[in-house]
Amino acid sequence: MLRACNRLLRPAGRIAFYTIFIPPGLSRAEYRRAARAGPSAVTSHGRQQAELLRSAGFTGVREIDVTEAFLRATRAWYEARARYAVQLSQAEGEASFHERQRDYRLQARAIESGLLRRALFVAERPH
Amino acid sequence: MPRDKDTISRFHNRYSLPVTDAALAVEREVIGANVGASGYTTVAQADALIPELRLRPGTLLLDVGAGRGWPGLYLARETGCDVALADIPAPALAAAAKRANEAGLSGRASPLRAAANYLPFQSSVFDAVVHTDTL
Repeated sequence: MLRACNRLLRPAGRIAFYTIFIPPGLSRAEYRRAARAGPSAVTSHGRQQAELLRSAGFTGVREIDVTEAFLRATRAWYEARARYAVQLSQAEGEASFHERQRDYRLQARAIESGLLRRALFVAERPH
Repeated sequence: MPRDKDTISRFHNRYSLPVTDAALAVEREVIGANVGASGYTTVAQADALIPELRLRPGTLLLDVGAGRGWPGLYLARETGCDVALADIPAPALAAAAKRANEAGLSGRASPLRAAANYLPFQSSVFDAVVHTDTL
């Protein structure tokens, strides 16, 4: 996908994205726990995003960690949804509501344990 | 990264849910506004993208995995840029088109069905690309 984005950008065009990822250096058991706890769309590889951006042809790669804000948002989703449990259960279905709440709890624990991170990556297509 | 059928189905179902007052209240509390968000990018984090992407009137932005138009529509509204909103779930794209219309952005926002790993555009057409937790 990053190679495709590089192709679509004009020279000096910019890419910026927030992404959740499993940090390098975890044990196999920790990696499995992180993969289970993180959103399914964002945990399929552990390669560092900066490396992926460079190998896709981008330059000026910067990483800005936003893991603390990620933890705050995960907790906020859980807590705010809990306050509206009755209404949201009716709209989403009770099983689905409780599944999402469980996922937020697991994710918060994984972030607290250093198993999931989120960062803003910024890079540029060379001139 | 490729999205498997389960993931696509889950997002399709999630985007098909009715938008209730409770859901809007939760989104306002977590994200900071009602912008069609369901992830972790807050309004403050979307604002941080503007200088990084050097968005201004006349620039063309591609939002990959745009869902209901967050943050692409917001960035278009705040900066005057044009935006292409790419995603797969039809309910999300319909919501994005509705939001664009309501915000008076129909002429500058183009929702289209496209997967992140197959983006049907010509080379070197965009000034900026954004995505949030798609990769």
